[in-house]
Amino acid sequence: MPRSLALPLPAVLLALLLATGASLFAAATLPAGPRGAAIALLSLFKAALVVLGFMRLQRESPALAAALIGYAALLCLLAGLRIALAG
Amino acid sequence: MNIAVRNINLDAGHPASEGGMELLLWILVWSELIVFGALLGAFLVFATLDPPALAALHQALDLPLAGLATATLLTSGCFAARAAFGHKPRRNLVIAALGGLAFCGLKIAAFAHELPVLAASEGRLAELYMLIVGFHFAHVLFVAGLLLLLVAWRPAPRHVATVATVWHLVDLVWLLILPVIYLG
Repeated sequence: MPRSLALPLPAVLLALLLATGASLFAAATLPAGPRGAAIALLSLFKAALVVLGFMRLQRESPALAAALIGYAALLCLLAGLRIALAG
Repeated sequence: MNIAVRNINLDAGHPASEGGMELLLWILVWSELIVFGALLGAFLVFATLDPPALAALHQALDLPLAGLATATLLTSGCFAARAAFGHKPRRNLVIAALGGLAFCGLKIAAFAHELPVLAASEGRLAELYMLIVGFHFAHVLFVAGLLLLLVAWRPAPRHVATVATVWHLVDLVWLLILPVIYLG
């Protein structure tokens, strides 16, 4: 597998921490609609980073990596929809 | 490259049982995800049906502390990943375990002022919150307090890879708990 696809672990961690901070900021400041979308996207981004950056599962099993990210995407979508529609 | 080295070590150590062990590991991972998914789905439904209860729950929760706990858990996950990729496994697993225990400490601090408020409120959301977060807390405590340290004692590459995968599952579940419960 191409080595260039692997992000260095400190970079993955930094991106995860920044996304966490951005999620908290979005939760505290944005109105319901954009808040739902921002939280869903940032949460999915974090889940994908854990799967692809920490586990690097795409190197061993792209199908498992896609399944885990798809599962996370479903829950993030539902959470984002609830926030956007109900506040 | 690290993956290739790890796989060679795995194959050399346990050629016959690796496939079965890996299948069991992924069955465990998906079982956990399904259980947490069902609980989080139920939370989303009840939160949608009862917005005042959700607002009351959010008032009781400590968002900054949850953010700090998230950062601690993710940092711990990074050390577990370093161990899995062959960088000083023993040291990194111990640091990952300490991070997990620090997460537990932060959650206990949060529970200390959340529980009295939640106990006074009647409703399924508060119960579901305790069930989901408490169940995840038990996972962190078990994996960090026992499995990570046990594997760190004798860090065979195959066991390091397995425990790191379980630890990343704990990370992943928390990242899904956060938007559903805390950020909504």
